[in-house]
Amino acid sequence: MASVPAPAPNLYSPPNPIRRVIGPVVRYIVLALFAALTLYPLLLVVSTAIKNPADFTVDPFALFSSVRLENISDAWTVGEFGRYFWNTVVITMPTVLGVVALSTMAGYALARLEFPGRNLILYAFMLGLMIPFTSVMIPLFYQLRDMGLLGSLLAVILAGIGGAAGYGVPLGVFLMRAFFQDLPHELAEAARVDGASEWQVFRKVMLPLAGPGIAVLSILVFFQSWNQFLMPFLFVPGQENRPLASGLYLFATGRTQDYQLIAAGSLIMIVPVLIVFILFQRQFVKGVTAGALKG
Amino acid sequence: MARTSDVAAKPAAAGSAAARAGRRAGRSTTIRGTEVRTAYLFVLPALLVYALFMLFPFVTSIYYSFTSWDGVSLDLPFVGFENYTSMFDDGELFGAFRNNLVWIVVGTIAPVAIGLTLALMLWTQKVGSLAFRTLYFLPYITPVVIIGIVWGWIYNPLFGGLNKLLEFIGLDSLTRGWLGDPGTALAAVLVAAVWGAFGFVTLLLFAGLQSVDLSLVEAAAIDGANWWQRARHVIIPEIAPVLTLVTAITLIGGFAVVDFVLIMTGGGPGTASQVLGLYAYKNGFQINKVGYGAAVSTVITILTLVAAIAFVRLRERGRDGG
Repeated sequence: MASVPAPAPNLYSPPNPIRRVIGPVVRYIVLALFAALTLYPLLLVVSTAIKNPADFTVDPFALFSSVRLENISDAWTVGEFGRYFWNTVVITMPTVLGVVALSTMAGYALARLEFPGRNLILYAFMLGLMIPFTSVMIPLFYQLRDMGLLGSLLAVILAGIGGAAGYGVPLGVFLMRAFFQDLPHELAEAARVDGASEWQVFRKVMLPLAGPGIAVLSILVFFQSWNQFLMPFLFVPGQENRPLASGLYLFATGRTQDYQLIAAGSLIMIVPVLIVFILFQRQFVKGVTAGALKG
Repeated sequence: MARTSDVAAKPAAAGSAAARAGRRAGRSTTIRGTEVRTAYLFVLPALLVYALFMLFPFVTSIYYSFTSWDGVSLDLPFVGFENYTSMFDDGELFGAFRNNLVWIVVGTIAPVAIGLTLALMLWTQKVGSLAFRTLYFLPYITPVVIIGIVWGWIYNPLFGGLNKLLEFIGLDSLTRGWLGDPGTALAAVLVAAVWGAFGFVTLLLFAGLQSVDLSLVEAAAIDGANWWQRARHVIIPEIAPVLTLVTAITLIGGFAVVDFVLIMTGGGPGTASQVLGLYAYKNGFQINKVGYGAAVSTVITILTLVAAIAFVRLRERGRDGG
């Protein structure tokens, strides 16, 4: 090797000049190929959602061959996706609030207070992180029936907060506990020395510092609750309270295959998540990463 | 991007607990008393909801698995281990188990291989790295139901994109109704699931790469190591913890999969794409064999817990070694 290494060498450029060109080209081809693979199904939804019915009969899945935005409003009213949308909102918002409130308090206690049985409670929550929804869906169905909750939005909200579907208090407690553990101890100790009660320490000192952790958890719970399919599909069978996911599934597997309304409904479902993702990308990515480290 | 150094930082927290206990020792018992009361008040609401909607049904599920309950009658006939022993004569269960193994192996290796390749390529990519990463992440935030529906269109035998593509490149003989063909149904669902998962793996591995010491890679390059050697012997060992983690997450989740299969094929045609979770669902909700369905659920729980605990052990051993 005659060439002298540059101060910051491109790590993927071998010395051979021909390979120096081929390397990046191959890399771009692979990256672009996966970009196309990623985009095609998503564009197919958008394109089908705004397609003109006349054009649809000619070639249903040609991309962007015509534009008819009324499909979206048709889906909202005729397809009942407006109702499904609000049902999804009514499930998701209390779920986020509930998980955040309960997990913040429990996570704080498990991280910063000492009490008998702390480890036992912690392990109990950790167990909940590992049990899949599949393992509890059958008895939960009959339990909710006996409680008179089956078919109501409350069934999905409460079981969701409880952690049946993976985004509830076990996950929240795990994340918030880790978050509070990383906060400095000096502030709380100083407040205690000044005579603050444990409640005041939490409310006035620790909670104001918990903003970033709460933001990450809220977004993680929001997107998982919004996107979930199986639990509302099982526990809310009626049309009245149906959220978007099961509404879409039942619409798509129904007797009439109205592809444009299905696509428009999909768009209605995916846009809120996309907006939250774009606005809070940093917290979103952090939440997904932190949530993944739960094992 | 998020940092993954938290993984390594965790054990350090245990050390500070002892220091804190020491500091606390001087305080009077009344303060300790209020602290304990406050702690229970803080933990109780979360614990109650969790116990009622998660722990209780979890225990009930195990109980049901020892009965032949049909979901309707008032008494739950206790049958001991009969549900478990009769599994050995259940062909559909074996088929589901085999499909589940395929799902776990392919559904883990494929996204990890794709994610690792893309993360390594993006790592030193200067132009457009963020744009590519954002794009690849979109399938992960797409609801499963939409992934299932739109891939169903791509596989559509009459006007789906896949058959059109095959015709275009002259492979007409391969065209078929991908989800309706017993030979391809499971693979077709798996492709959709991999599409939904690789962006997540890419994101985590890319985050893991941020903590890799670049000078090590440079040194290897100067020593004449090629692209593959640098990846295999320098970079991958450095990100091994994150790599094990994403592998474990995809693998562990694979035992319990229901939604993709339910949405795309319902386990069909026939039982060609049946998996354990969907088979439990079928028993519990469609053919009124609640006891047997609960037993299948319990098997899924055991498989999941064994895999999860094995992973935690593996990670702890890795930590002790490092």
